[in-house]
Amino acid sequence: MKQRATAICVVAFLGMIDALYLTIMRGVHVPCTLSGGCNEVLTSAYAEVYGVPLSLIGLIFYMAVFSIAVFGIFEAAAAVGLLRWIFWLALPGFVITLVLFYLQGFVIHHFCQYCLASAAFVTTIFLLSAWPRGSRQIQA
Amino acid sequence: MSNKTKPIVVIVLAVVLAAGIAVYLGLQTSASNGGAGKPSTEVNPGGGHIRGNASAPVTLVEFGDYQCPSCGFYHPIVDELLRRYPDKVKLEFHHYPLVTAHAHALAAAMAVEAAGDQGKYWEMHDVIYNHQKEWSILPNPESQFLAYAAELGLDANKFMQSVKSIDVEKRISDDIKRGSEAKVGGTPTFFINGHAVEPLPSGVDEFASIVDAAMKSSNQAPK
Repeated sequence: MKQRATAICVVAFLGMIDALYLTIMRGVHVPCTLSGGCNEVLTSAYAEVYGVPLSLIGLIFYMAVFSIAVFGIFEAAAAVGLLRWIFWLALPGFVITLVLFYLQGFVIHHFCQYCLASAAFVTTIFLLSAWPRGSRQIQA
Repeated sequence: MSNKTKPIVVIVLAVVLAAGIAVYLGLQTSASNGGAGKPSTEVNPGGGHIRGNASAPVTLVEFGDYQCPSCGFYHPIVDELLRRYPDKVKLEFHHYPLVTAHAHALAAAMAVEAAGDQGKYWEMHDVIYNHQKEWSILPNPESQFLAYAAELGLDANKFMQSVKSIDVEKRISDDIKRGSEAKVGGTPTFFINGHAVEPLPSGVDEFASIVDAAMKSSNQAPK
């Protein structure tokens, strides 16, 4: 369980850097050597919700997941419960990731490498938090 | 250190470290491309539509996209600036439709230019921005633009002819070219007396203080 929480910590930490970078670089032309469509995606109508940038929402998500996972590492007894908290955070995060992936592919017709990285981070966190019972069996 | 404070210390350190790395990457990005990702600092494109006192000492250049939510956000702010400084500030607007991200941005720019052919450029500019959320979600906003034109008392036939005219298309493509030359990466991008406004001000008061500083420096400039 501790290993799983540690893995989530690492992924959430990377997510924090990604989301922070996009929040800081908001309104600035970012380099996009891998996917080529970053600026189209980041300046689209879908890059913010009621004026709040998605990157900022992502940052809050990663910070919350990271914090819970850190407590999971230090409080072994509460780790299973904390992992469940992460799962309930990651579930809507994963659904939103799928929606954003669809929007990039079929509405905006461009992909943003920073958004794809974030999608990979959210998916990994979701998968790592999705099977707490399996972990108990391994411990037993 | 107690076991209860350890996680908090780790979280704070990690957030500080992540912020440090993100800021470093941001600075590295800007440095590695020599600022190519940011708008030029000296821009006087000319050729745009002027709103306000044409002889005002401060020129606020805007590269805008009618479907961009941020541009919609700044539209009333720019209007308020022009109201606050009626003799001191003029707006020079340039189209910069991000066509790959905003499917109707180009059509909106064409509608505004077409209205301009009948002397109602700024009226259509305001209507299009004020109703951005209304027409942005339509599969084809052409009939909506036509309805706006009718509300403004424009001749529908002339309006449609203008929308499809090569002249309108050229005026917009000239603006896009000016924007590319000015290294405009996103919208809106503002320049005050040729200097890029970065970062974008959060509201009208912050914008006004930038305008105040520009007026001060233009007063101090040798004549």
